[in-house]
Amino acid sequence: MAELVYVTKRFTFSAAHRYWRRAWGVEENRRRFGPLAEVHGHTYALEVTVRGPVDEATGMVIDLVEMKTLVETEVLARLDHRYLNEDPAFSTELPTTENVARLIWRLLSPKLGEDRLWRVRLAEEPTFWVDYHGPIR
Amino acid sequence: MAPSGEWADVTRAVHFSAGHRLSSPHLSEAENQRIYGQCYRWHGHNYLVEVTVSGLIDPETGMATDLEALGETLQAGLLDLVDHQDLDEVLPKTTTTGEGLALVFWRLLSTRLPPGSLRRVAVEETPKNRFEYAGEMAP
Repeated sequence: MAELVYVTKRFTFSAAHRYWRRAWGVEENRRRFGPLAEVHGHTYALEVTVRGPVDEATGMVIDLVEMKTLVETEVLARLDHRYLNEDPAFSTELPTTENVARLIWRLLSPKLGEDRLWRVRLAEEPTFWVDYHGPIR
Repeated sequence: MAPSGEWADVTRAVHFSAGHRLSSPHLSEAENQRIYGQCYRWHGHNYLVEVTVSGLIDPETGMATDLEALGETLQAGLLDLVDHQDLDEVLPKTTTTGEGLALVFWRLLSTRLPPGSLRRVAVEETPKNRFEYAGEMAP
């Protein structure tokens, strides 16, 4: 039996978005989403947490350099300094904080493994964040 | 004989500064260099440690834990040992990764705190990396 340790790495990325359903008209979008219907942006703070036993030889749950490279190539290269509404993941879904967190989970879980990836925490700004633990928990 | 009442988790954060390097006796010189990279060289951090203990809220004082006693435990059980020290010297047989420190701090503190009260130990080497242990074992 080995102790389970949680390892969290923090990142930031900057992106623009708007809440806008194409099927709805201008009036309806403005009425439902207010200022969020206009194109605006955030510096998002992303925390990725993996959980696992500590490797006896290395003393690590995961190599932090591997984790950094993975998040940079899979997530930041795709989302940093982008207009999220143009991402294929948001052709029908709105790029809400919840849905961006779900996308990040989908990008990382095949690489990290469902059993290792524990939580994606995404903060649109310091007063508001979303935690996503994947579709099965 | 679980006492009735309401429980609360209380977290106290402390800082210390220490030196270390990552190297494992299980690995060869070349493997150590490859796996730990720049962390194989001597360096140091301003560490942040958060310790969470759980306790029954005392109806008279409104407190779930004696913060002063917790502070003294952190000072004597942790800070006196590691602050401004070489972690690899004061914590022999520990690979001083964030994971290793979270586990060893848990062991050091759990023996000094009321049995079963320690809930979580979190260690940050830098604001970008956080390591947490909450007493869980792999199945």
